[in-house]
Amino acid sequence: MIQWLPYLFLGLLLLAVLGWWVWDAIVHRSAAELLTPRQHRLGAESVGSRRDLGERIFGPQDWDFVVRETPPQIQRMFQRDRTLLAIAWLRRTRIRTSQVMHAHVAVARQSKDVQIGMEVKLALSYVLFLILSNSLIGWVWLRGPVQTRRIVRQTLQWVAWQRAAFERLMAVVDPANHKALETGFNQGTAQS
Amino acid sequence: MSYATRNIDIERLITDLRSRTLSRLPGDFSRLVYLASSRDCNTGKYYHDGLAFHFSQNVASKAMALCHKEIFDRLVYASLEELIDELSNYISSTDERPEDFLKSWEHLGSYRITIPSECDELEADVFLSNLKMALAILQTRQKHASRDEQSA
Repeated sequence: MIQWLPYLFLGLLLLAVLGWWVWDAIVHRSAAELLTPRQHRLGAESVGSRRDLGERIFGPQDWDFVVRETPPQIQRMFQRDRTLLAIAWLRRTRIRTSQVMHAHVAVARQSKDVQIGMEVKLALSYVLFLILSNSLIGWVWLRGPVQTRRIVRQTLQWVAWQRAAFERLMAVVDPANHKALETGFNQGTAQS
Repeated sequence: MSYATRNIDIERLITDLRSRTLSRLPGDFSRLVYLASSRDCNTGKYYHDGLAFHFSQNVASKAMALCHKEIFDRLVYASLEELIDELSNYISSTDERPEDFLKSWEHLGSYRITIPSECDELEADVFLSNLKMALAILQTRQKHASRDEQSA
């Protein structure tokens, strides 16, 4: 029994840090909300500039129309198709975030100005992001994108806040490469 | 030809294509089908004799590809309801009977050729899924209309 104590301690510590990080993310939610409405405003400007595919997949408009206008057989077909699309989109978002994280790790290894505290924070939030995105994929697979859109939206707000924090960190660690990486990341998320 | 000159040519050509050709077609879906059918499936290049005569084949193809992508983007982000309206308009503009058209498109998957060569894979999946839904909904409406006619 006593040999499990260090693992138990580590597990509890990790849970406490993750819990604190989630709380911190909720407290700073206003930052995330500042990012998300900007996307909506951009979307309102012109049809051509609307690029939020996640909003397109999870949005309620099509589902409301299908429920109102079509028989149950078509409603089932719609839910099946949208579930597959939503899972594909979540997987792609996860892959792109992982690519950015790997790029950051590569840059941070060569940087002399690394802030250990910030790096640990970033690593933990990345782990939390992976856990959340995998849970979301499972949740969407079980319940479909329509029922899960609220939780997906909240998670994406948190990711947007995390992205802003990440960009601030990148500017400190590697100002020269920050601009290039930022552009690549924005293009990636813009298409997602 | 310099890069800048080529870009100016493409912009002029896009304006020309929009105002003389595409604006005369009834709706974005008709425009999408028109541009997709101007493309050689073997090479992915677009052909338009008039435009190629005034500009060059390469510039004409590039401009048509850009217009194709632009219209495709609009339809990807259009709601399902709007897409159904677009598809209905297109069907009405052809001389085919709607039942035959819907059956053929569903059976042959003809709508797959409307995807531009350079587009995001997931956007293409969203578009194809929406189009499949739109066809199914229009078929259901068609069946109901035929049944109502028979019973009347």
